[in-house]
Amino acid sequence: MITPAYWVLIAVGAVIVVLVLVVIGIYNKLVLLRNRYKNAFAQIDVQLKRRYDLIPNLVETAKGYMKHERETLNAVIQARGLAVDAGRRAAANPGDPAAMTSLGSAEGQLVGALGRLFALAENYPDLKANQNMLALQEELASTENKVAFARQAYNDAVMTYNTGRETFPNVIFAGMFNFREASLFEVESREEREAPKVSFN
Amino acid sequence: MDFFEHQDKARRRTGRLIWFLALAVVGIIAALYLVVWFGMMLVAGYDARPGDPNAYAGSFWHPELFLIVAAGTLAVILLSSLYKTAQLASGGHAVAVLLGARRIDPQTHEPAERRLLNVVEEMALAAGMPVPPVYMMDAEAGINAFAAGHDPRDAVIGVTHGCLKYLDRDELQGVIAHEFSHILNGDMRLNLRLVGILYGILVLALIGRIVLRSMRHVGRSRSRSGGGAVVVMAILGVGLVVIGSIGFFFARAIKSAVARQREYLADASAVQFTRLPDGIAGALKKIGGRGETSEVHNQNAEEISHMFFGNAFGSFSRRIFDTHPPLADRIKRIDPRFDGKFPARVEPVAVSAALLEAETKRARPPARVFGAVLGGAAAAIAVDPAAVLGRIGVPGLEDMLLSAEMLAAIPPPLREAAREPYDARAVVYAVLLDRDPAMRGRQLETLRTMAGERVRQTTEGLAPLIDGLPEEARLALIDTTFPALSLLSPAQYLAFRQDVDRLIHADDKVELMEYAVRSMVLRNLDVHFGMAQPPAARHGRLAPLLPALIRVLSALAHAGQSDAAEVRRAFDAGMARVGQTGAPLPREQCALDDVDAALGELAEAEPLLKRRILGACMACVAVDGMVTPREATLLRAVAAVLGVPISPLAAPGGETPPA
Repeated sequence: MITPAYWVLIAVGAVIVVLVLVVIGIYNKLVLLRNRYKNAFAQIDVQLKRRYDLIPNLVETAKGYMKHERETLNAVIQARGLAVDAGRRAAANPGDPAAMTSLGSAEGQLVGALGRLFALAENYPDLKANQNMLALQEELASTENKVAFARQAYNDAVMTYNTGRETFPNVIFAGMFNFREASLFEVESREEREAPKVSFN
Repeated sequence: MDFFEHQDKARRRTGRLIWFLALAVVGIIAALYLVVWFGMMLVAGYDARPGDPNAYAGSFWHPELFLIVAAGTLAVILLSSLYKTAQLASGGHAVAVLLGARRIDPQTHEPAERRLLNVVEEMALAAGMPVPPVYMMDAEAGINAFAAGHDPRDAVIGVTHGCLKYLDRDELQGVIAHEFSHILNGDMRLNLRLVGILYGILVLALIGRIVLRSMRHVGRSRSRSGGGAVVVMAILGVGLVVIGSIGFFFARAIKSAVARQREYLADASAVQFTRLPDGIAGALKKIGGRGETSEVHNQNAEEISHMFFGNAFGSFSRRIFDTHPPLADRIKRIDPRFDGKFPARVEPVAVSAALLEAETKRARPPARVFGAVLGGAAAAIAVDPAAVLGRIGVPGLEDMLLSAEMLAAIPPPLREAAREPYDARAVVYAVLLDRDPAMRGRQLETLRTMAGERVRQTTEGLAPLIDGLPEEARLALIDTTFPALSLLSPAQYLAFRQDVDRLIHADDKVELMEYAVRSMVLRNLDVHFGMAQPPAARHGRLAPLLPALIRVLSALAHAGQSDAAEVRRAFDAGMARVGQTGAPLPREQCALDDVDAALGELAEAEPLLKRRILGACMACVAVDGMVTPREATLLRAVAAVLGVPISPLAAPGGETPPA
């Protein structure tokens, strides 16, 4: 005869099995989502690197014409250096809040410095007509678009991951398995961009 | 055996295997029942007063007890199998992530990675399937690779770090060709099924372990009360562990036995594919030379050990559990002169950008051989549908060389663009542009309002390059956009999908051609983004599919000819191939949405029936025995919707040209 005690045991056993499967499922799902946003960051990284490679050429070309704008040119080089470092740190740990914030602000500064360079270049008709300069400018603009597009894909993936992480019951296990919240990649707006003044020698 | 027969055989094998495993499950239930009965008998003997009618010692058969054991076991196995199958339902990507693999960026300029992607690209085009995304297992030093997914449209390829480090191009090509033949021989679906069922049995043993562990705590906290239950649970725990392990042992042995057979086939197909026996033999020798190091250390690798190129596990209980035949044996079948001696040392192979370029040049065949195919873009070529069907899924050297040439014919800016998600969209848009300048202007304007000025500019910039491409190379280009487009976020993909549809509808008439391009691009990506399931094979007989076939054949007949008699002739030619007669539907009833639905139905045919259906389509298109490149493209698109990879050479009648 099977007594109620055994029924309870069987029921408890069944619940345990289901629970274990559910937990494994949640874990795997979170791994998949994390993987997705990391892959998405790799896409941004490719475009950022391409842009960082273009900038020295741009400065080199501009140097010949803009002899009196050393400060602006140096600011671009400086901002590029900072952005390269921040990019490296972010690539090592995509989604990490500190790394993403510093990349965002470094990118903001770089975009600002480039903007000032292009604004000044308006005063140099020879430079504006230079084929090399035109090609570089075009290439930079198109890379900028790709960065924005990849950034959108990354942010989408981060949002999906964060949502997946915060919904119940995933949220209980996300902390247990050390799935930290990932940060969006946002480039700081122009006003903030102007604020930090870097001094050059 | 051709593609369809291999697919069919793989399906049958899966069916038989499931019977084997069901038998194993019955055995497991019987064994578990014995254990539980034994436990109950002990407990009942323990508590029972003399003469208690409920004592278990007396009778062996207790239906209600059996029912509980059977139901419990089945529930566990089914639930966990379903769970695992669902987990792998998202296809190859899920498997790759399970293994801790990293997606290789389609744009990579790292020479060794670039070379790998080039090899995969060439092979996918030769086989006539979209280029699969490639994953890399950075932490694995052994030489190994895997292919995973349900069918060619959601396949991924993965390689270990050791694979890139130690293999030269020919060897790498051999390994990748081996993986492709797993894809083309229908092994992947079989593999995923196996993983699911095995997991169910494994979970039994796992539960036993959990029960035992919890027993330890219970035993400690309550020494006496409920002693009976504890004893039963302990016995049940031990029983589950033992029986689950034995069950898993047999299930694994079955899996390994099946997998080993498939390996020989994949090796042979790889040689047929590349015509380079030294490549794959060299790779196997290097595995041997490194002391059988094809080992993969990831903890999840056991589950999918049978999906790898070489044995993923070390020396433990070799003969029974090896998912792959002995190395020396495999090498001997490819290279009969092999003396059984593996190289003493295996040196890393350095890849430089310069070497990469030289290799790409070398891969290009002499133009005069294949110029006939690529150059004669306007000329119709004679085809024999039977011969073409026989070539599907068994790409040969000619296909490899042609695909290399097609890739070489695509201007570098286009190839670069196809590798980058942002630009890859523009590539697809540009392929969809109409040749008529006014129409093209309207389409570009639509694009500007939908996707923005930049995208319009990029598309317009790419258009002239695409206009200069022969039809086959255009399709090849579309196939190469797949890895980049799969990197879009779901939201971006939805927008892209809408853009494609708007572009097609911008000229108010949707040509069958535009539909073809659309389905080649979107069908596979829909599966990738989880918006559609790969079709399951449901129909073995033609009868239920006949209305769908009539609609598709009518559409194909109308697409090729305008004269009513000609339409009739083409339609009849198609129907005759499947031994049917009927009347073509009028043109109005061949709207694209209807044809699309009909093709979707046909995609659910079983492989052997699919071959007949495709044969009918071919006969209908090539009614006069000749196929223009345009018609060939149409056929390839129909085949793509049906889930059949047609190599580019097979489609335009790559057989020897008529005298």
